[in-house]
This record gives sequence, C-alpha cells and structure tokens, in this order.
Amino acid sequence: MFKFIANLLRPRPQLGPEAIQSAFREHYRNFRALLTANNNALELMSSAEDMLGSGKPFGMAFVRGDLTALTVNVYKMVHSLIALSDGRYQDLDERFKSITDQIEHILSRQPEVSGTAFVLTMDEIDRRVVDQVGAKMANLGEIRNHLGLRVPDGFVITAAAAKYFMESGHVQDEINRRLKTLDIDNLEALYTVSSDIQDLIRAAALPDDLDFIIRQQYARLADSQGRPVPVSLRSSALGEDTLQGSFAGQYRTRLNVEAAAIPATYKDIVAGKYQSQAIVYRQQRGYRHQDVLMCVGCLAMVDAVAGGVAYSRPHDDPRSPWAVIHAAPGLGTRIVDGSSVYDMLRVGREAPHDIAERRLADPQGGRACLTDDQARELTKLSVQIENHFGSPQDIEWAINTSGNLFILQARPIGQAAPAAQADVELAGRHVEQVPILSGGVTASRGVGAGAVYKVSCALDILEFPKDAVLVVETPYPEWAVLMNRASAVVSESGQSATHLATVAREFGVPALFDLAGAFARLDNGQTVTVDATARRLFEGRVEALLQAAPHRPNLMEGSPIHKLLKEALALITPLHLTAPDSPFFKPSSCRTLHDITRFCHEKALAEMFNFGHRYGARDKSAKQLFVVGMPAQWWVINLDDGFREGADLTTPFIQIEDIVSEPMLAIWKGMTAVPWAGPPPVSLRGLGAIIAQSAMNPQLDPAVRSNMTGRNYFLLSKNYCNLSVRLGYHFALAEASFSGLLTESYVNFQFQGGAADERRRRRRVRLLGDMLREIDFRVEIKGDSLTARIEKRPVPYLRERLVVLGYLLIHTRQVDMVMNEEGFINSYLDKIHADIHMIRESLHKEAGERIQ
Amino acid sequence: MRRPRNILLIDDEEDFLETTSRRLRRREFEVKTATRCAEAMPEVVAGWPHVVVLDVMLPDTDGMECLRLIKQVAHRLPVIMLTGHASMHASLQGLEHGASDYCLKPIELDELVEKIIIAYNDIN
Repeated sequence: MFKFIANLLRPRPQLGPEAIQSAFREHYRNFRALLTANNNALELMSSAEDMLGSGKPFGMAFVRGDLTALTVNVYKMVHSLIALSDGRYQDLDERFKSITDQIEHILSRQPEVSGTAFVLTMDEIDRRVVDQVGAKMANLGEIRNHLGLRVPDGFVITAAAAKYFMESGHVQDEINRRLKTLDIDNLEALYTVSSDIQDLIRAAALPDDLDFIIRQQYARLADSQGRPVPVSLRSSALGEDTLQGSFAGQYRTRLNVEAAAIPATYKDIVAGKYQSQAIVYRQQRGYRHQDVLMCVGCLAMVDAVAGGVAYSRPHDDPRSPWAVIHAAPGLGTRIVDGSSVYDMLRVGREAPHDIAERRLADPQGGRACLTDDQARELTKLSVQIENHFGSPQDIEWAINTSGNLFILQARPIGQAAPAAQADVELAGRHVEQVPILSGGVTASRGVGAGAVYKVSCALDILEFPKDAVLVVETPYPEWAVLMNRASAVVSESGQSATHLATVAREFGVPALFDLAGAFARLDNGQTVTVDATARRLFEGRVEALLQAAPHRPNLMEGSPIHKLLKEALALITPLHLTAPDSPFFKPSSCRTLHDITRFCHEKALAEMFNFGHRYGARDKSAKQLFVVGMPAQWWVINLDDGFREGADLTTPFIQIEDIVSEPMLAIWKGMTAVPWAGPPPVSLRGLGAIIAQSAMNPQLDPAVRSNMTGRNYFLLSKNYCNLSVRLGYHFALAEASFSGLLTESYVNFQFQGGAADERRRRRRVRLLGDMLREIDFRVEIKGDSLTARIEKRPVPYLRERLVVLGYLLIHTRQVDMVMNEEGFINSYLDKIHADIHMIRESLHKEAGERIQ
Repeated sequence: MRRPRNILLIDDEEDFLETTSRRLRRREFEVKTATRCAEAMPEVVAGWPHVVVLDVMLPDTDGMECLRLIKQVAHRLPVIMLTGHASMHASLQGLEHGASDYCLKPIELDELVEKIIIAYNDIN
C-alpha cells in the first residue's frame, strides 16, 4: 500500500519530446545492459550448481573465476536498475554489497593452525594433537603412547613450523601467484611450475629460530640414543589420511639422513607438497593447496634386517579372517614403491595365528624374511592396531638386528569404492570373446577401455592422451599424475599394496597389475578393454562389460573446496523472491544474488512498462494489438525499433502488420500456427478443483488486476521481445534476444502457478518440461514452477525454438483440465507432437527455399 | 551494433600483448600496446583508443590506479579489465571506478571481441 502511494507521489518528469526521446533511449540502453548481465548471471549460477553436483574435479580457480564473473554481472544489473529507475533502489546496492562481502569472506577463509610449538617429541604425541602433527604422526604417537608398541624415537616438526617457514620471505605468496593460472591438463606446464616451486622452497632460508630448534631437538635425540643416529624424515601432511583421501605416495620420505643434512632435507620434504602428482591429486580431490600443511616426522633410523607392509585384512575383503603380510629384506620400502619382489604371507587373525600361506620371492632356495613367530607377532599387533583405530589398517613395519619389531606407520586401508553387488555381477559376466591376456592381480576393481599408451619415463607422461589405457612395467607412484587421464592401468609387475594401486582405487580407475607379458604384448594405439575385476584383457571395446561397470566415485563430495562452494552457493542460488505483487518483493527481502537478479529483472520490466505513462509520452505507452481488424487481448510496448517506420502511433492501437520485432513475430507465428480448438471438455472434478483454488488465492482471480500483472503484454524492439502472459490462470514469461553477438542471443522461459491442485500443477509442469527438452531447452523444475533456457546459439536456431514455444504457450494452457483423463491426455499429447513436427518442418522448408 | 576500431592493450606480459594484438588485428582492429601505465597515458590523452583492455597487475602503478588515471582524462572511454586475478573484491573496485567489465584470463578471442563491442556500444 505504501509502495502504491509512493508510486503515485513519484514526481512525473516534465520534459519536451526530444528530451523524452533521449531519456527513453537512455532507459532502453540500461535495460539492454541489464538483460545481458541477467543472462550471464543466470548462466554462471547454473554452471556453478552443475559443477557442484557433477562429481567432476574443480579447483579454487573455477570457484573464484565463476563467482567473480557473477559478481560483475550482478553489479551491472543493480546499477543499471538504479539508473533506469532514476535513482530508486539505492538500498539494493547495500544488500548486494552485504551479500558479496559474506561470499568473499567464505572464499578467503584460511584453515586455522592450532598450537604454537614448532616441534613436539614422540612422547607428547597422540590423536589429540593431530592438527599440529598430521594424521600419520598422530597415529604413530597413538600406537606408541596408548598401545605401548615399539615405534622409533624422534620428534615432529609441526604445521605451525611449516606455516612459519612458508610465510617467511613471502615464499607462499610467490607460490600462490604461480599456481593461480596453472592449467593442470597442460602436463608440460604442470611439470615446469611444480619443479620451479620446489626449487623456490629448497632455496628459501629456514628462519634462524626454527633452524635452531630443529638442531636442538636432534641433539637431544642423539643424546638419548647414545650416538649421532641417522634419521628418517617422513611427510605427515595435515589433511592426509582423512576423508577417505589417502594421499598415498604423494609426498616424500627420506631415509638415512645425517645430522648436517636435516634442515635441507626438511625443506625438500616440505617442497614435496608441490610434486606434480600431489598438485593433480589435490585438484582432483577438491583440496586447496593451503588446506594441506606439511608436518615432518624426524625419527631415528631402525637398523632393519627385514621390513614391509602388513594389512590387518586384505584390501578387497573387509570381512576376511586373514591378515596379509608382505616382507622383504632390509627396510622393505621398495614394496610400496612398486619396485621390489617380496615374500607374501597369509596369517590367521585369531590366535594361534595359523600361517595359511607363504609365497617366497625366490621360490628356489630363497630364505624367508620372517620367522613363523615373527609373522604371528606382527599379525597380533596388526589386529591390535585395527581394533584401536576401528578400521582395517595398512601398516609399515621393520625388524632390527636385535629382532625387535617396530611399527613405522599405520593408516586405514583405502577401500575400493564400487558397490559389492555391481562387482559380483561384473565378475560373473560371461563374454564370448577370448581375452588376449589374463591373470595378474586386481589392484583396483572395475572395467575400462581405451587406446593403449605405454609409459616408461617422465617424458612419456607428457604425451599421454586423455582416456587412454596406461601400460607400465612397474607401478611407480609418479604415474599417479595420470590418474585423472587414464581409463585403466595395466602393469607387468606390482601388487595391490603399491601406492599407485591405492590411488587407482581411490579414483575408481580399474587397475590390473602383475600381468606378465603385458608391456611387450600390447602396442601403442591398440584399443583394449581391461576387466580388472575378473583379471582379463580383451582386444577392442567390450560393451557388455563396460556397461555393467560401476560409475566412478564422486571424488569431490565433502572435500574442502566442495564444502566451500556449497556454502557460498547458499548465498547465491536459492530464490526467496517470487511473486512480484507480494509486499515482500523489495530490496530488503533479497537474501541471495539470485533474489537480486530476480528483483532487478522484474523492476526493470516494470520501469520500461511504465515509462510512457510516467513521462506522459503516448507513443511510449502500451498499445493494444489489432489483428485482422479486431482488438486482441494483447498489449504492446515499443522499446526502440520494434514498430515499422511510419506506423500510426497516434491511436491506442497497433496493427500486427506494423510490428517488425523478429522475436515477437516468431512467438506470434507459433501462437497462431494451429487454431486453438477451444478448451477440451472439462471433467467436473477438474473444474471443481480449479474453482476452489481460485477462491483460495486472490492472485488468481482475473478480476483483481493491477496495471502490469493483469495483462498479457509484449515489450519489444527489433531484436528483443519480452512476453508476459496470464492465460487460463497460468503465469508465463518468455524472453528472447536475437543478436549477431552470441553473448546477447538467448531464449528464456518461465512458467508458474496456474489453478488446479498441486499434484496436477506439478504434472503439467513435467509434461511441459519434457516437451521443452525435446527442442533442446535446458529445463529446471522446482515444485510447480519451471524455468527453461537456451543461450549463445545462432538466430535461426533460436527462432525455430521460439516458434514452437509460442505454440506451446497457447496449447498447453489447459492441459491440466483434462489431467486425470488418461485417454484424453495421450491423444492430446499426440496432437501436440504432431503439430510441433509440422511447425518445424514448415520452418525448415521456408529456410531451405530462402537458401535456394 | 557499431564496431570500435582502435584498441589499446595494457599488460605487463609481453607474450600476451603479442598474441592478443596479432589476433585482434586479424579481426580488423587497429591495436597499440603498452606494458606500463605511463606508456599508455599519452595515447589516452591523445584520444586515440576507442576501447582500452587493461590488466590489473602492472609494474609501475597497479591496474586500479591506472584505471583511475584513464577515467580522469577520458571519462567516457570504455575500459575492460582483463586479468588472471580472480577476486570479487577487485572486480567490484574496478567497476566502481568506472570499468565497463572485469574479465578473467584465459579468455577466448571471440568472447573478448564481443566484450569490446558491447563495452563500446554501452558507453556510446
């Protein structure tokens, strides 16, 4: 009500005809700018929403890029509207700023570093300090201090230390600058940037106080060991080993480091955060680089005679009664690198821990790395560690010269993602074709196909084609950089414990390892299907298997970047403003950027609609459309050059022949292409429902009319048309712009409400949505409202769809009246489809004739 | 839609200037380039450019400052900011100082050409 009075009191500008013409031009210019920005903003919002739901990897570059472009377009809308309305809606700018401030705040939020200590010793460490030392070292401390198991002595250089180091001398700023524009699909650029950044970190000076503290800690460790022991430096990234993100093998470990080399090695390990495979890994899993801080464990070396990996259960069978041990002479680190042969043991999890199987690396007279007792002891500890952490564990271990067993690392086993059922079906699926290779070890289940590409050195990686099958001799961790490009992995050697296998499982890339002869037998470019589940490899694509294969997991869900975008989108995409005649349709009700765009669009239309009236310019006022000598229930406002030159503008009417707006003529053509046969016979129940709804909702009563909402009108120029329709209780808005510039070429359509009960309204909207999809609209349906869009397409393409849209506007308006009569609905739909076909055919024929 | 003819590119990356100006010339624009704001200002003062494409990070003054200088001497000259710096804050700052648009690198040439044409027509 207040708004209504305020509207009346708005001074009417007193201008001469030329000034009115120029004011109108200015309005129209702002209106066009607002429309273009609106269209861009809608596209940017939907691309961010699509990305969030797609499961495809995206980084902060996408998030910032999309949201910056969105900000720019919404800003333009707000300011175009303010200009268009002679300064009203200033308060909209405040809403806009407040919302963008909140979004900016979310985007720039930094992970907090807890604790101030640069160093913690092993006896101070357990799960409670995981935020300071990373999961790997926190778990090790837990094993030492709460399970009382033997782990090496030493200390951890904390996250706070890493942050302090990286921020000293602005190393981090420089790194961020270099990463900002990096395209990780350009592998050559990736390698260059990765290696430059690592050099930068290695070359940076360690702050004196940090350097001093590290040396001091080492001196204490040497003291307690009674000699200057060499140490191992192990990465323990913060964020690592959580969230099903294993980061397996992405970072560095350095063994046998002498005292003097500790500071340099520390920097090298911190630099390892920017190894190319780690950069790719974070991008794929939705981590920001700043979400990962590199803590480093510094532990006395174990003088090992044997070492390896123990799985408290096999990775592919979480219910197995067996533990699996891989053992090799020395430290056994080569096992996880994929570069060594080893003994394999299967040992009962329950006491007395029977040894069910023992396969020696060298079956001819080789000596076993572990005694039976040692194997039993290791199994017992593995089960104990599993029980403590509550999930099956992947444990690195070593036995020293005195026969003491040390735990070096423990982490949850990366579980294979595909659902068990799909997998069982896959494994049993019979295929006529004979495999060209079979056997080996399932390192990651699933089926993948593509052209073979063999990789044996880093240089080969650069040439690796997207969706090829990666074929290698040895599964080195470095090949993980290809996990976002490979459709499957085949390796001559290696087993399921390698880091590469862990990463393949995590990414859902099928991997078949230990497949003898694969490297020699397969040729580059040859198309193959890898069935890693059933351990066989076929020539060509085997569609029966590929179709049965489970989808790749959504790697982004729940990651830091995914969460951040989701949080930001909560301030962007939900639409709270809907009914323009509601008292809450005002700037202060705008809670999201979408609300603001909706508000701007609606008010801009109203400004253009009311211009003629407000400025007392008759030729700018709404004119009633005259068709075949009769006034029709349609009003037209000419925004610019939508009327034929010389048309008579002195009357309150305009002839359809005087209209030259191409989008309007296209809609009109569709609206009149097939004569409306009158409403279909209405069933009594259907009619009753419609009447009841009209009574409950005064907005639907055709007698309640305000100037704009109650009419069917076109706003138009030569290349633009906005049509608002209230027909048979439906509200529809169609907007089209034709332009030589693709940025300005689009068709938007909204459809809402309509009497009839909710179930019918929803069903009608679905039917309409289906038909629009058939003519290539992108359709979004929420409840009973529908939006459909096509953008950035050439004019003839848009024109054809606009004609069909005009037809649909008229002919679906009362579909809901017969919604319950199945027989009617089907014959009705058949007729609509036939009509649409006929309309499109005739358009194509016209176009063809014009070309000839 | 009318097409502007003279485009002034200001960017500190020589590679970018070279490729972009070559491509714009192929689309029948006249192009001049500058790696610093000070180098660009005489052209602006002389009224040569119809549209300016400006990077946000420049070695002498920052792009925002350069934008302010340009707008002081040529209020109605359309300036498109084109940058690798994706920041909501910076983009709003640019628009408030009168930039016609704030676009992010990398940008397709077709898109840049459309933005140039739209910026030009919006102001003229």
